[in-house]
Amino acid sequence: MTKRKALAAALLACSAFAAPAAAQSSRVQIKGELVDTWCSVTGIMFALGTAHHQCAVWCAVGGIPVSIKDKDGNYFMVLRIEEAESNSANPRYVKIQSHEVSVDGELIERDGVKYLFVTKVLDDQGVVNLTHADNGIQPFGN
Amino acid sequence: MSRIAIAAAFVSAALAAAPLRAAEAWGIEHEKTVVITGRVVDLVCALKGDCPPDCGAGKRQLGLVTPEGQLRAMVKGPVEFAGPVRDLLPFCGKSVQIDGLIIENPAITLVMIQNLRGKTDQPYEWAGAFSKDWEARNGKADEWFRADPLVKEVIGADGVYGIKGLVPPPLAPAAAK
Repeated sequence: MTKRKALAAALLACSAFAAPAAAQSSRVQIKGELVDTWCSVTGIMFALGTAHHQCAVWCAVGGIPVSIKDKDGNYFMVLRIEEAESNSANPRYVKIQSHEVSVDGELIERDGVKYLFVTKVLDDQGVVNLTHADNGIQPFGN
Repeated sequence: MSRIAIAAAFVSAALAAAPLRAAEAWGIEHEKTVVITGRVVDLVCALKGDCPPDCGAGKRQLGLVTPEGQLRAMVKGPVEFAGPVRDLLPFCGKSVQIDGLIIENPAITLVMIQNLRGKTDQPYEWAGAFSKDWEARNGKADEWFRADPLVKEVIGADGVYGIKGLVPPPLAPAAAK
């Protein structure tokens, strides 16, 4: 076997058996508002702060993913908060909807989504984004 | 054959040729109707290798891994204010085909499932498993999202604005009816 053929065979064997590349992760600190991912991203209604708090609770209970939206408009889909193993309709997520938080965590970006695994909630200001005077109660007014 | 019979034959031929389900567009920015085939995965498992049995048994967010290796987060179903975890769960680790919407917002890519099927020669089924599951646990309600016990607990504690003591003004008489 020539050197070139041996090299090609070795490369082929490596590519055939290699495990899928592990997603790269990085440590981050994120500050922003806990939002319902669907309503906020799609813009189907006004979906921030007090005006949307009730709807954000409905959606979190309904199992729609929760994200942190930062001041630059980035969305970080939260898949873990500290020790909470479940991330769908988990009361831990539901009870902090619309809160302004600062978190430390692990970020994994893949196929257009920034997934966030929160290691520690550093600060929780509660609901501070007072949007109801201009936007009422979304989406039904009550 | 009468004219009516010919027209009826055309209509039934057209219906037979049409797909049984087709995703409804919502007119959302960056939206496309889409059909995606892929293996159902627990997102945490796919990203971190932390894999409880049965894709988390309904307590984990789910996605699809396509044959090309793309991971798609399945975040919304057709039931109001609800996701599609219950629809996907029976297919954990298996292939499924969904039709719905993909929102390729530059900030995040999301998928809404409207219908799904386990095999491409089967008809699509409406992705409404959340309602069935919720009713089995809580009984029938006109609006599940107002009747849900956890919603009542959280809104009861902090109010509709999420701030204890901050309450909306009373509804006007006409609106209160």
